[in-house]
Amino acid sequence: MEYLWEEEKLIKIVKRDQPSRAIFFLTPVLAIFLTLVAGGLIFYILGFKPFEALKFFFIVPIADMYGFSELLLKATPLCLIAIGLSFCFKSNNWNIGAEGQLTFGAIISGGVALLFYDQEGFYILPIVILAGAIGGMLYASIPAILKTYFNTNEILVSLMLVYVSKLILDYLVVGPWSNPEGFNFPETRQFSDSARLPLLVEGLRIHAGIFLALAAVVISWFIFYKTYLGFQMKVSGFSLKTAKYAGYKGKKMIILVFLISGACAGLAGVGEITGPIGQLHREVSPDYGFTAIIVAFLGRLNPVGIIFASLVVAITYLGAETAQIFMQIPKYTGQVFQGMILFFLLASDYLLFFKIKFIGSKK
Amino acid sequence: MNTNLKISNVSKIYPGCIANDNISLEFKSGKIYALLGENGAGKSTLVKILSGVIIPDKGEIFLNNKILKLKSPIDAKKKKIGMVFQHFNLFETLSVFENLIIDSDENRENLHEKIQSIMKKYNFSIDLDIPVLNLSAGQKQKVEIIRCLIRNPEVLIMDEPTSVLTEQETSELFSSLRQFSMEGILIIYITHKLKEVMSLCDEVAVMRKGKLVSVSKIVNEKIETLANKMVGQNLKTVRKSISNERSSEKLIKISNLSFSSEDPFETNLVNINFEVNRGECLGIAGISGNGQSELFQILSGEIISDKNSIEFNSNFIGNLNPQERREYLMAFSPEDRLEQAAIPQMKIFENVALNNFKSSNFFNNGLINENKIKEHAKKIISDFNVNTDNIELKSQFLSGGNLQKLIIGRELITSPDLLICFNPTWGLDVGAINYIHKTLIKINDQNKSIILISTDTDELLKLSDKISVIHKGKLSKIMNSDEVTSEKLGILMGGGEID
Repeated sequence: MEYLWEEEKLIKIVKRDQPSRAIFFLTPVLAIFLTLVAGGLIFYILGFKPFEALKFFFIVPIADMYGFSELLLKATPLCLIAIGLSFCFKSNNWNIGAEGQLTFGAIISGGVALLFYDQEGFYILPIVILAGAIGGMLYASIPAILKTYFNTNEILVSLMLVYVSKLILDYLVVGPWSNPEGFNFPETRQFSDSARLPLLVEGLRIHAGIFLALAAVVISWFIFYKTYLGFQMKVSGFSLKTAKYAGYKGKKMIILVFLISGACAGLAGVGEITGPIGQLHREVSPDYGFTAIIVAFLGRLNPVGIIFASLVVAITYLGAETAQIFMQIPKYTGQVFQGMILFFLLASDYLLFFKIKFIGSKK
Repeated sequence: MNTNLKISNVSKIYPGCIANDNISLEFKSGKIYALLGENGAGKSTLVKILSGVIIPDKGEIFLNNKILKLKSPIDAKKKKIGMVFQHFNLFETLSVFENLIIDSDENRENLHEKIQSIMKKYNFSIDLDIPVLNLSAGQKQKVEIIRCLIRNPEVLIMDEPTSVLTEQETSELFSSLRQFSMEGILIIYITHKLKEVMSLCDEVAVMRKGKLVSVSKIVNEKIETLANKMVGQNLKTVRKSISNERSSEKLIKISNLSFSSEDPFETNLVNINFEVNRGECLGIAGISGNGQSELFQILSGEIISDKNSIEFNSNFIGNLNPQERREYLMAFSPEDRLEQAAIPQMKIFENVALNNFKSSNFFNNGLINENKIKEHAKKIISDFNVNTDNIELKSQFLSGGNLQKLIIGRELITSPDLLICFNPTWGLDVGAINYIHKTLIKINDQNKSIILISTDTDELLKLSDKISVIHKGKLSKIMNSDEVTSEKLGILMGGGEID
């Protein structure tokens, strides 16, 4: 359909006959580009040289091996959580509380790791990892069960539970689980080495958690595109009425996708505490659970897309730190960039359905 | 007012199709004109040209003998041409008044006063302060009409206005239109419903495939002559060969089925009882919104009921979901093709996999068996005349008729004992309607049964062996279709009683 509002206009917006597949994957790139432009502009207004600031933000942090390892370290939880979230988002379930599921997974796995704090053994790490996944699943099952049996809104429930989990963690590390030899610092004992994810390279912080993320990518790709469950999720994502008509067991699926999502977030929590830190403390995650929502959409809920998206977004974490150190720009700028990416992504999605035509002036 | 609107040699060409081929027409105020044609005849293009949405490639429009150059819908409004589209252009979450003030130049007080006087004059009663989403379709349409009337239009164009209205609302609309016409507003009424043309309009212009076929006075026409002009051939009605040797073997029995909903927009069902024998078609008539949708969902298993309320083939299945019911050889074709029966964004073969039961082997051990699904999709396409050979095509690119053939084909290819369908030919062109009707008759002849829930009484009379009417969630007594007349149906549908 062609709408010609005024003949004199130079630019015409035309509805696409069908959403373009190429545009579908190009708009995230466009969004990132626009974010850089807008970011440069903000730096300029703040009185910094825009190119230099962007360099500190996006290039300096990953210019050496250490930086690259840090990039992967940050991208790992983002990727893992985003994969889990895409199970929910693809099937029309809006789990906003991955941060809470991450925290609760960290609490449960941390608790188990603390039980073994003075023991060594190959069996400890698998138990700790499993405990984290179960913790995340338990916590995700709350909004899922409330949604299926009491018709509550999962967005609100899952979001509010984030704050509950953070307060529980706070209470534990200050109170019952605090390190008896820790001079009242809000942190637990150090886990034993057997409860730690092994480091991959001597001297760098990148750890074996990355394999969990890669496994999640492969498994989710297989489930999404090759299984009946993936098909049912796709149908439910497009139309819940159709899913009902087809006879899919809606409640079962809601609970299942929340459990998968919670398990992934829980595993990300395990990675955080048993990787570089090795203990529970107040801040196990710099809002990875929320940022992963952006990652999931930037990656178009596609497992491969999510890998790229998690790398891009991970840079904003690192860039914020370098920019703070070298330029005294507050590190919250990182969140500004994350917000801008999402904003521009949603805006460029307009191009999925419309195209802009430049035409000559008709006088 | 003495308005004269003239279309002179207007053409509009799209790639691959001539939407309007040299159309010339003249309209004068005081009369109601019908623009009649099938889907794709070019009516909508012509109307969009008149309302400034589309600029014609060739030709001119004259209003009161002055040439009219419309560059945008705003232009048309300024030139006092009002238009009510089939799909409403209202913001659901804004109030009625907010919707009306958006494109008005007047201040709040004046506008409010003006709306009140319009509503009083035409006997509309709409609360201006409630959100539009709380209005019925008929009320929404009135809001659109008020929006036009605010600008004192000389021409009012109505595009398929009754497709969403109940019969009651339709008759209200007609009396308003007659009143407007008497006050000198020129009315152009676009439709493909012959009966409406006969009862409402004074003159009729028929279009077919982009061309103007005829212009005539209604008094010189009959439904049959108009239908012939519109379709371009003598209507070949399929008719069921009524057989007296239908088996009397009971297939499905519904007993004491009731349903009450917490949702005020749903209709409660009250003590529904009926039986359908093998090889029989039971038609359920009624004005839309009287419980048909709820009844369909209960029969299909989307809403689960008491186990014993539905007995199918000597099994009690009231508590089973649609997929489980398919295992007992039931099939379902819902009303909403685009939002329920199929997913437009998915490929044809993927849509085929929506009707899945064990023996179809579409999914083995939880994995998708794409080859099996594709093989099945190809068979449906060829057996049911779906006009494409590409099963990888997204189903949004199928026309309504082809999509419905695909859906009916998907449901029937497994040869179920019972097909339950809800408005199977809604919005389709005559060719597709005939095909679907023939198909339904054929499955009756194969001793399979049908429950046909439809708002189209002609369809029901044509296809059903027995007919019942649903009104406010209650089912009338079941009549043999040869003793039913459209008059009897009309009375029952309106909530009346017959002997």
